[in-house]
Order: sequence, then structure tokens, then C-alpha cells
Amino acid sequence: MSQLKFKITDMSVNYGPFTALQGINIDVKQSELVVLLGANGAGKSTIFRAISGLNKPSKGEIKFSEKKVNGMSPDKLVKLGIVQCAEGRKLFPEMTISENLRMGGFVHRKNKKELKTMMEHVYELFPILKDKKDDHAGSMSGGQQQMLAIGRALMSRPKLLMLDEPSLGLAPLIVKQMFEIIQRINKEGTTILLAEQNASAALKIADRGYVIENGQIVVTGSSDQLLNNEEIRKAYIGA
Amino acid sequence: MDLFLQQLLNGLSNGSVYSLVALGLTMVFGILHVPNFAHGAFYMIGAYVSLTIMSLFGIPYWIAMLISMFAIALLAVISERLIYHPLRNAAGLHQMMGAIGILLFLVAFAQVVWGPNYQQMSSPYNGAISIFGTTFTQQRIIVIIATVIIMLILHFFLTKTMIGSAIIAMAQNREGAYLVGINANMVVMLTFAISGILAAAAATLASPINLVFPGMGDLVIMKAFVIIIIGGMGSIPGAIIAGYLLGIVESFGATYISGDYKDVIAFALLVIILTVKPTGLFTRRAY
Ligand SMILES: Nc1ncnc2c1ncn2[C@@H]1O[C@H](COP(=O)(O)OP(=O)(O)OP(=O)(O)O)[C@@H](O)[C@H]1O
Ligand SMILES: [Mg+2]
Repeated sequence: MSQLKFKITDMSVNYGPFTALQGINIDVKQSELVVLLGANGAGKSTIFRAISGLNKPSKGEIKFSEKKVNGMSPDKLVKLGIVQCAEGRKLFPEMTISENLRMGGFVHRKNKKELKTMMEHVYELFPILKDKKDDHAGSMSGGQQQMLAIGRALMSRPKLLMLDEPSLGLAPLIVKQMFEIIQRINKEGTTILLAEQNASAALKIADRGYVIENGQIVVTGSSDQLLNNEEIRKAYIGA
Repeated sequence: MDLFLQQLLNGLSNGSVYSLVALGLTMVFGILHVPNFAHGAFYMIGAYVSLTIMSLFGIPYWIAMLISMFAIALLAVISERLIYHPLRNAAGLHQMMGAIGILLFLVAFAQVVWGPNYQQMSSPYNGAISIFGTTFTQQRIIVIIATVIIMLILHFFLTKTMIGSAIIAMAQNREGAYLVGINANMVVMLTFAISGILAAAAATLASPINLVFPGMGDLVIMKAFVIIIIGGMGSIPGAIIAGYLLGIVESFGATYISGDYKDVIAFALLVIILTVKPTGLFTRRAY
């Protein structure tokens, strides 16, 4: 596999007159699991939306393996392998689980065999999805919907997978499982950028992290450094 | 009994045409959330295209229908590119104004090219046939069968192919569709093309029974709007069921109440159904 390099340089994003992000610098290397920590409204989802092409940065550059990718449309980015499992899951509620997964493989639709293998893999990661494969996505519990959202993102064979607060609103036991699965996906070779408020759980599985406050990166470092940082412990871990 | 069967058949055949027109309208609404007022004009132009190539070149009915489907698909896609696409980020009102612009342009175009007169379209099925001792117009049977076939093809396309499912996906969650790699432009153009195909098919099926004239789309489109409101805006099964419902209720209403009220019945049905179920028959759940 070619070495993946992902780099955001000095990116700003506005919502109308409001500056949501300013001077963001992030880089992610092949096979890393990097976490973006930040409270509500810090700007985590905005970073992901900009990377995915849903919002256009007003300034700065996003590079993916030496290729400038800001300004590209969302579907082209998915084809390149930049895929996100978004906040709010954004499933197709009246489609069944298996149909949602099938749509997840939209960019590989010509390759039926690959789709089948990927689907098997997703079912293996989340056996509950296989049991309920003919149920409508809209009828599932929050945890199951989150699993489906991750599974759907995996179907497009991401090189860089962004996960936006996958633990949000889930029961503690499910959260634990969720982080284990995220770690497993990473170990299997997928580079992951994870947005979280649950700092202690996220830092346990991450290699490195960035802390975002009010649209700016305030601290960055390895997971150990961040876990031992007094201020971060106070603000995000509460210990 | 004869009268009953005949009216049932009339209702089903009119309902078929309504459903086809409403289907295109509801699909475009599901994707763009804009009522395409120009859809009735697509229907009208579709009738003229079939009529013209049949009478001018002697091309057979079904082939003429296919050519017309292709032509109106193209017309719909061009309208989307020239009018709706540039207005995609504008307020909904601007898109409605654009739609009315297309409508007025196409009606004026038809007046200039084909004149204001009523014209007749012939079909190979002008005769009558007798089933169980009741006589039916052949064309009405043809309308019903052809509509079922078209709907089955559409159903297959939308549920069994990835490209077709992309339309459904985008109607259910727009950003979700972008994030699985669906190209928004492709889906919007495809949806307009399908709505054009359905409009042309409906017009070519209905014209041998009714007549072809520049204003022929007006009443049809008004009823199609009633249908998609009754069926639930953006709902595909809703448009089909409400289309047949309207056709049948109109047909029986005209016979057993009064023919004068035929076109008012649609609106009475609208008021009654929205009173009982304000969201329409098939509401797309909001997520
Ligand atoms: N569509 C929008 N229009 C205007 N402002 C927005 C919009 N979306 C987000 N914002 C603002 O941008 C800032 C960053 O929001 P963002 O959703 O990126 O935060 P977040 O870190 O993902 O928060 P959360 O943890 O709640 O998901 C917030 O102040 C938010 O109010
Ligand atoms: Mg967020």
C-alpha cells in the first residue's frame, strides 16, 4: 500500500459572517489513529465537513498524498478514499440495513465481488447488522444506527476514515464496544481521524491528538502527553 | 353493471395517466424540494412530438412514443441545466418563478409551432373490444397495460440498480448521499430525465383519447399537484395510489353525481383527505 499523507495547512472556514475555524493545521500519516478533541461547538464537525467537501474553506489548503483536494466535490473525495461517518449518521432511513450498506459501496458499484467481500467484512465486525439486515435503518436503536453508519462508510474502502463522535448518545457498554471496533478497524490498516468529546476513551486508543477550542487548535501531542496534561485532564476528563 | 365496468375502466385509464404524470412530479420534488410547474408543459410538448413524428414521417405509434420519451427527457434535462441548476442556491421562490418561465415559454412555443387548434392523434387501437359483453375502447386498455409495464420498469430501476437507488438515497438523505460518493448533478439530471420520460409516455398514451392542444397540460398538472399532495409530497407509492384514486373517484363522480363537477372532484378529494390526514396518505418520515 502506498504511503498515505494527509495534511491541512492554515485552513479557515466561515459560516456566512461567522468564522468557525481559523488557522487549522492537521497532519495524519499512514495507519495512524488521530483524535480531535473539543467541546460542543468547538469546530470538530466543521473540520470534517470541510475535508469532505461539504463546506468550502475560505482559506488554506488540504492535501492528500501530495494532491490538493480542497474544492473537490464530495463524491470525488469519496472516490479518492476520503470518507466520513458523519454526525447524525445521515443514513437512508427507509432503506434496509443491507441496502444502506450496498449504497455505501456506490463508488465500487462496478465491482460486485469486492462489494460482497466488503459486506461480509462489515457483517463480521457488526454481527447485529447481519441479523437485522432486512430491517429499515430508521427503525433501529441509536447504537445499531451508529454501527450501520460506520459499516456504510467502510463499504467505500476508505483510505482515510473520519468518524464524527461515534460514541455520542450511546450506552456505556456500547461505547466500550464501539471504541474496540474502531481500534480494530485501525489495526486492520485504515487510517482514522476521530472526533470525540469522550477524551479518556478516545486517547486510550489514539496515537496522537489535537485539542480544539473556539475554532482553533490549542494543544497537540501524543496521547500520553495529552493524557498527562493538567489542563486537558481538567477540561475534558474531569479528574 | 355495464356502466359500472365502463366507468371503472375509464377511471383506471385516466388514473394511469395521472399517476405517470404525478410520479415524475413527485420524484423531482423529492430531490429538489421544488414544485416543477413546468411539468405539465413537458407533458404537452411530449404529445406534440409524438403527434408530429407520427403524422409527418408516418412513424408507428410505439416508436413515436419512444422518440418522444427521449426528446422530453432531453428537454427536461436542458431545463434543469439552464434554469434550475443556476438557481440551486437561491430561495425556493426563485426556482418557482423559473419553472413558470419555462411553462410560459413552452406553451407559447407550441402555439407558434403547432397553432392553437385542437388536434387528434390516431393510434392503432381506435376500435372497441367487448369483454364479458361490455364494450371498451381499446386505447383505454392499452393505457392501463402500458402504464403497469412502465411502472414495473421504473420500480426495477429504482430498487435493483445502484444508479436508480441513488435517486431514492438522495431523496432520503441528501448529505448522506454525497458522503457515499453519489454525484449530486448526475442524480438531479437523471431524475429530470425520468420525469420527462414519464410525462411523454403519459401524453402519448392519453392523447388518442383526449385531444392535443397547447393548454392540454394545465388541468393535468393541477391534478398531478393535487395527487402528490394527497399522496404525500415526494412519496412514490403515494403518487401511484392517489393517481388511481383520483381517476376512479372522478369517473364515478361524473357518472353518479354530475358530469359538470368532474374537474372539481379532484379538489373536493384534496380537501376531504387533508382534513382527515393533513400530511397526505404516505408521509415520508422526517429524519
Ligand atoms: N450551518 C451552520 N451555520 C452557522 N454556524 C454553524 C453551522 N454549523 C456549525 N456552526 C457553528 O460553528 C461552530 C462549530 O460547530 P461544529 O458543529 O463544527 O462544532 P463541533 O465541535 O462539531 O460540536 P459538537 O460536539 O456539538 O458536534 C459552532 O459555533 C456552531 O454554532
Ligand atoms: Mg460536531
